[in-house]
Amino acid sequence: MENYTKYALKDSDALTQLLREQDQIFVIACNKCFKEYTSDKNTELEKFLELANSLEKTITGVIRPDFLCNKTKAEGKLNQLIPQDSRCVFVLGCGLGIQTVADCVNLPVYAATDSLNYTGHHGMALTKKACDACAQCYLTATGGICPIVDCSKSLLNGQCGGAKNGKCEVSPDKDCAWEKIQQRLSAQGRLNEFLNLNVQLRDYSKVNYKVISEYVKAIRESRLDGYYGGVHPSEHKEFSEHQPLVRFADPQIAVIPMSQHLGAPASPTVQVGDYVTVGQKIGEPTAFISAPVHASISGTVIAIEDRPHASRGQCLAVVIESDGKNTLHESVQPHGDLNDLTAEQIVAIVRDAGIVGMGGAGFPTAVKLTPKTPVDTILLNGCECEPYLTADHKLLLAYGDEVIFGLQAILKATGAQKGVIVIEDNKPDAVELLQQKTAQYENIEVCVAKTKYPQGAEKMLIKRVTGRQVPSGGLPADVGVVVSNVATAKAISDAIQLGMPLIERIVSVTGEHIANPGNFIAKIGTSVQSLVDACGGITGSDVTVKAGGPMMGFVQSTLDTPIMKGSNGIIAVDSDATQEVACIQCGRCVDVCPMELKPLHFAKFADEGNWAGMKQQSVMDCIECRCCEYICSSKIPLIKKIKAGKAAVREMK
Amino acid sequence: MRITELFDKGQFVVTAEVGPPKGIDASHLVDEAKTYLSGITAVNVTDNQSSVMRMGSLPACVALKNAGLTPILQLTCRDRNRIALQSELLGAAMLGIDNILCLTGDHTKMGDHPQAKPVFDLDSVSLLHTVCQLEKGVDLGGNALLGEAPKFAKGAVVSPCSESVDAQLAKMERKVMAGAEYFQTQAVYEPEKFIEFMEKAKQFGKPVQLGIVIPKSAGMAKFMNNNVAGIHIPQEMIDELAADKEKAKAGITGVEIAARIIKECKPYCQGVHIMALGWESKVPEILKLAGI
Amino acid sequence: MLITEMKQKDALLPHFSGKVFFLVCHGCKEVHFPEAEVEAFKAELMAADKLTGYLTTDYICNPENLTLRLAKHAQAIDDADVIAVFSCGVGVQTVAGMYPAKKVVACCDTYALPGFQGVTPLEYDCKQCGQCYLNLTGGICPITACSKSLINGQCGGAKNGMCEVDPNMECGWERIQRRLAQIGRLDALKCSVQLRNYATDDLVNQ
Repeated sequence: MENYTKYALKDSDALTQLLREQDQIFVIACNKCFKEYTSDKNTELEKFLELANSLEKTITGVIRPDFLCNKTKAEGKLNQLIPQDSRCVFVLGCGLGIQTVADCVNLPVYAATDSLNYTGHHGMALTKKACDACAQCYLTATGGICPIVDCSKSLLNGQCGGAKNGKCEVSPDKDCAWEKIQQRLSAQGRLNEFLNLNVQLRDYSKVNYKVISEYVKAIRESRLDGYYGGVHPSEHKEFSEHQPLVRFADPQIAVIPMSQHLGAPASPTVQVGDYVTVGQKIGEPTAFISAPVHASISGTVIAIEDRPHASRGQCLAVVIESDGKNTLHESVQPHGDLNDLTAEQIVAIVRDAGIVGMGGAGFPTAVKLTPKTPVDTILLNGCECEPYLTADHKLLLAYGDEVIFGLQAILKATGAQKGVIVIEDNKPDAVELLQQKTAQYENIEVCVAKTKYPQGAEKMLIKRVTGRQVPSGGLPADVGVVVSNVATAKAISDAIQLGMPLIERIVSVTGEHIANPGNFIAKIGTSVQSLVDACGGITGSDVTVKAGGPMMGFVQSTLDTPIMKGSNGIIAVDSDATQEVACIQCGRCVDVCPMELKPLHFAKFADEGNWAGMKQQSVMDCIECRCCEYICSSKIPLIKKIKAGKAAVREMK
Repeated sequence: MRITELFDKGQFVVTAEVGPPKGIDASHLVDEAKTYLSGITAVNVTDNQSSVMRMGSLPACVALKNAGLTPILQLTCRDRNRIALQSELLGAAMLGIDNILCLTGDHTKMGDHPQAKPVFDLDSVSLLHTVCQLEKGVDLGGNALLGEAPKFAKGAVVSPCSESVDAQLAKMERKVMAGAEYFQTQAVYEPEKFIEFMEKAKQFGKPVQLGIVIPKSAGMAKFMNNNVAGIHIPQEMIDELAADKEKAKAGITGVEIAARIIKECKPYCQGVHIMALGWESKVPEILKLAGI
Repeated sequence: MLITEMKQKDALLPHFSGKVFFLVCHGCKEVHFPEAEVEAFKAELMAADKLTGYLTTDYICNPENLTLRLAKHAQAIDDADVIAVFSCGVGVQTVAGMYPAKKVVACCDTYALPGFQGVTPLEYDCKQCGQCYLNLTGGICPITACSKSLINGQCGGAKNGMCEVDPNMECGWERIQRRLAQIGRLDALKCSVQLRNYATDDLVNQ
């Protein structure tokens, strides 16, 4: 891949003239883009400083930002970085970067560079002139060879008289485009098609700047809507969103992993051969951040051994063979009226019921409910921003009352004043229903959020709804907020109202390769294979199965894994065959990272083992939402590299 | 005759504007000009005015010249690149057209061929510069011209009543620097604004002709207020046009207003340029009323 | 940055003689592409039994990845008389280059948006003219902020400070004038007559 660069230093005469009357100069040199990211050297900057030095100019400072044109990040910071004694700013950047600086700083700004004329260079690495964006694509008529960029005169109606030996009169190195078009069309037997074409006339009004400026405005707003960045993958909710919620048959064999949560795994409290009943505790927490595990069916423990696990490969599990009776454990008793329960009692019920975050992360809920700092707002996450999944959507429709009850319990347990149920605007029926149901509660409201991934991530959700920014390394409680999934709230309701621990959940089984997608209430421990089979199995070949959604879900090599507390979906989707190539600094990852990090550096630093660099680029702030990997034009497995970096940084401590 | 010679003599220079037809018969244009405009100094011939395609300015200039009038060739940068503009100028010089007015030109999207490619290879300033180069016997590419170099009276335009008067003055200064020898202005309806502008423009030391567009009706006045750049017609004037519709229709009100503006501004400018927009027949009357 | 808009269906259908393979590019993902229209069109043609297959993917301008991704569609492409490509001009040319013997139909028109890096169009535009004027204009680009790309000052077309071409767009030279006054650099307007060089792409084409 060619090494593309966007700007060149003005010649030294011009620069000398510019510098003549200036001193106390602050220098901003953009790190360039669409350039293979191999080195941090900036020869233009070196040359410029050399010249300024020879003219005995004082340089008050030099900064080298990435993507200077990213105004959201540039503005604000720039003025802080410029020392007081600076009298002017020289910018080494393309026209976009220079304009950004001129707009953001209060000092006279000088362009030390010219943008190189790469008009028409578009595509992966801008190494080839390929599309002039004329808004009236002619490629069908010309066999896929562009007459606008490949012909020096942009002729539309055939070859001019200037071609010599098939080469263009303007540059003899260049093939005559119309010669190539002629050959291509004649090889395809399509010459007549071209000959019979109407006279082609260019329409220079077709590039409708009004449409463009409105689009630009809209897209800029939407990218910053609620929080910086994020992505909008195809939703694909259609496969299962209109399928009814069905109670799935209890499993004959339930495999219940001891680790279904963040933190220490539970330790089994039963032995092989023991008879257990529904709701009976079979594993107890081993640390503060841990959670108990309960039997989801009644029957006999037939094994306690390592079994396949959706995200951990193998994990210790208690295997129960059903007696088909579903006998309830004696501990499963309603806890009475919420009004009669104290905050401590609610937290204890939640802890004993083994409730953990059901959005996927599995953080023990009882820990969340006892924040170290006071909280005023509880956010219930009903966004379900992952594509394909419809489990939370179905839950809201079927268990709206329970969700609200759960929220009330959380409000009481934490002493927060306000509860907000956040639902994305792609679920209008759920929004309407919950708005109706919450109308009677003064302290509970529904917030409709414009669909954008990763809306459901705690920090994004908080920013979106409250405008508060969780500090780097901080927790939601640091800004007075606790975030919980709607399914978790429903589980809290069950634990209080029915006395039932967390032994079942709603799962979407969906994707283009599931014969009959559906939504199921399944017992924890139900095998994924049985759910997939119930949906008619997997169709087609070259299929990728994931536990969870396509963005953050885990690729499954076997269906012999159980449904767990955090299993919101099983998806079977098209596999994608790609190959990693070098980063070209296209900047897309920087544009979409909701944590406002610069993932391109992670790719380079991980390959170099530069863990200090990763730490300095705040790798620990990454929430692994995979937006960067999704958008990466070089198909770099960024999350893998980020995880390696995080592990290394943790060890550094 | 170059009209700059008259400015130099201190003469109050009167010009008017005509538009070539959308067709090949220029007889009406010539007849009207002969009948109503033979008394004035020179006649501007527009160059596809408002980006509406018409007969070219140069041939229409030749037709007027053959009829005994002094034409001013208007030249815009919208439709021709630097090669075409220079060759047009050489052709004009050969045909004895030696008065020109250099303009950037309206955008193509404003006219009747919005799909056309807007050229703007040069603009009014660089066009004036180009003319100066040709006058020195060199083209823009630095190549020598054969034989005698052309010589033009080089005009340019300015909008004295624009809301962006500072930007207009800056541009005027650049035009002077590039070689403009006289200016014609956009239509003026507010003498006080014009006088204020002239106070500032005095420093350039170039003659300025007051621009006049005859207001035909209250409707036209409102339309211009809403749509035409650099023009603002005060409400009193619109009321005056609306007061007696018959009088306005007969052109009497418009002629009165135009003459009044000229009278008021005459001490501050070096000429007047009337854009009659089809009412060429009213020009003699305006001048009579204005005492010219 | 490029975005695409689907051509009128009536303009496309005459090209679809025989069977068609649909190749749809998500574009650069977050950059607009006509997703809904293409999906509806695809469904229509599927119902009419016109399609031999389809692939919706991203960055089809990357021939290496496209080759990998199209491997499992080889038969469907072989069976098709026409490959219908929904992408920017770069994507269409990539596909046409990979299948020189097939008729490739460009189903979209391509527009340019301001900005190069990332996926968010910028407030500013750069036409890469190759001879930066920003030093003379207080950092506001006359090439992109003026509809006529004038480099020697304002034309007469500004009305109330707005452009004659788009009344919602402020006159670029009005802005330049204001900025220069603000930063005390009105002297920049006294520079020599500026002439554009339209041959700056020579440097890149070498």
